[in-house]
Amino acid sequence: MSTRIVVDHLARVEGHGGITVELDGRQVQAVRFDVFEGARLIEGLIGGRHWTEVAQIVSRICSICSSSHALTSIKATEAAFGLMVSPQTLRLRDLLNRGENIESHALHLFLLAAPDYLEYPSAIHLAADNPDAVKLGLRLKRLGNSIQEVIGGRCIHPVNCVVGGFASMPTTDRLLQLRQDLLQGVADAQAAVAIVAGLPPVSCGRVDTIFAALDPGATYGYYDGDQIVVRSARGDTRVAAADYRSLTAESTVAHSHAKHSSWQGSPFMTGALARVTIHGHLLDEGSARVRARLGLGVPTGDPLQNNLAQAVELEYDIRYTLALVEQLLQDGLRPEPPLRPQVRAGHGTGVTEPPRGLLVHSYTYDAQGFIREADIITPTAMNAAMLERHMRGAVAVSDPENEPELKRRLEMVARAYDPCISCSVHLVRL
Amino acid sequence: MTKPKVGFFGVTGCAGDLLNVLNCEDQLLDLVDLVDIREFLMASSEGDHEVMLDVAFIEGCVVSQRDEDVVKAVRQRTRLLVALGTCAMWGGVPTLDRLHDRGALLQQVYGDFGRTIDTRPAQALDEIVKVDFGLPGCPIEKHEFLAAVANLLNGNLPQLPHYPVCAECRFAENRCLLGQDGALCLGPLTIAGCDARCPSLGVACNGCRGPAPDANFESAATLYQSMGYTRAQVERAMATFAPLPGAVH
Repeated sequence: MSTRIVVDHLARVEGHGGITVELDGRQVQAVRFDVFEGARLIEGLIGGRHWTEVAQIVSRICSICSSSHALTSIKATEAAFGLMVSPQTLRLRDLLNRGENIESHALHLFLLAAPDYLEYPSAIHLAADNPDAVKLGLRLKRLGNSIQEVIGGRCIHPVNCVVGGFASMPTTDRLLQLRQDLLQGVADAQAAVAIVAGLPPVSCGRVDTIFAALDPGATYGYYDGDQIVVRSARGDTRVAAADYRSLTAESTVAHSHAKHSSWQGSPFMTGALARVTIHGHLLDEGSARVRARLGLGVPTGDPLQNNLAQAVELEYDIRYTLALVEQLLQDGLRPEPPLRPQVRAGHGTGVTEPPRGLLVHSYTYDAQGFIREADIITPTAMNAAMLERHMRGAVAVSDPENEPELKRRLEMVARAYDPCISCSVHLVRL
Repeated sequence: MTKPKVGFFGVTGCAGDLLNVLNCEDQLLDLVDLVDIREFLMASSEGDHEVMLDVAFIEGCVVSQRDEDVVKAVRQRTRLLVALGTCAMWGGVPTLDRLHDRGALLQQVYGDFGRTIDTRPAQALDEIVKVDFGLPGCPIEKHEFLAAVANLLNGNLPQLPHYPVCAECRFAENRCLLGQDGALCLGPLTIAGCDARCPSLGVACNGCRGPAPDANFESAATLYQSMGYTRAQVERAMATFAPLPGAVH
């Protein structure tokens, strides 16, 4: 007998998508992550735009990762023009990326994912019984937003980060306030880890997984680097940013406006779990204690562990950011007008690690500095094929007769990927 | 007093306006005490899809039949419909499609598969249904959203500034990026309410809040051209977040 399980419109994620599973008895016929977010064609719409305008337009692809879209765009443009920015600029970009990661992980863990484990429809319902946990999550989320406000000038669609540097420097007063907030944040992060560690375990199956993450160099982070590491059972492979297409052999699929990516024919996972799996050795002793407390062992084929990996990053980033802000206060910020690039015809690719995983912006400019072609590949698009495989894994460990429980597991797997569905709908050259 | 029933909805967009509602971290729990949120899919898997609402906030623009169906269905079940953010109010960045051949873009992106996608030129909400009020911004400013909620709770329609960003920029005593630096700053054309966020950082206004009521595009275009910008550059800049008056799709 064939049955169809449908989650019409997935709640507690960014954007519009759904899940369809077709079963023949216990046999899975099809699993689909349906994306029905409207096509905005943003990469096409920046055709003909000047290099000074591009980052501000493409950040609109997604709100939660708007700092990453702006920074990745800037990285691609600077690569196209061969512009090297100052160490101070790199520090501030690092800080902005970490602010976004803190906000996004706090939002996801407390407002989007935690209600699943505790069986509430939302964090608002959860707040009625456990206001302290929700207030803690909101405080951490606000901390991430404050960092983005101070460095980026706005917590969504930042305006202060530009090609060549920053339009203006954060004031000492605001950095001092940020330092205060971060001191509270360090304590809050420990409490957050305790809450995540105490969530009841849920099993959604395990599937052998290939991971991919940007190599950040010597320091665990999200902005620096131009080599992607792919880790499979066969070992590690390195892919240069400019060769990203070998990692993202994309194809259109009928049920989705997002395209599917694969590595040598196999789907792969990117995001916090991939980063901790591949670059976890760059984290410190404090993070090792957090990992032990959460029981996060890598590598793992359990997609729900991505939630734990986010908690590890959240805790680490807050401590790291506090140290960085203290260093900035000690060194002082030099006024530094943005560097002007030598505009030339050329091609540039930027890759960074937004909260949800690898993001690629690749641009071709004409000699006057106007966009001729643009290609943007988002983490949710890269993850889509692996997400479907993990949803099959969830069906395999579920009783198909128990539809509510099966749906809950399918939703938890989808949410564990923290999908950004607006992001995934994008335009590429075929 | 019974709490007003409120719904938050999104059609096609970046979810930044709904996210900025959730970004009111200090007020969020008070907000849910003051209003009865019956639907907010981005925040809750429990929603009442039938109940008559007092106020519906919709973010995003309409680029598909699906979007149009959502907007019309919400209109039928709400007393007041608020367009939340620049995409909902003006169409936003997706209306840049009016400067391109949308069919060619789709072909370029998705190949022949593009013909099967439910998609069409981007439109603002008021091109589809009656909109009672709009909050501009890409994204909306949190303080404007909270002030609007407070006004609505008191039975008033919120008021928007009628003056442009330039006025707030002058109050802040900023250096004039247009007059002194020759930047293509859209402050004279853009509706205020952001406290001149970008020019205060030394970044030219890119018009993300949409036009001020008295914006004179023709006169501004002449000014920018006299500063050395080409007509095409000026028109593209002015059309980034809201179609120019008279632009058709």
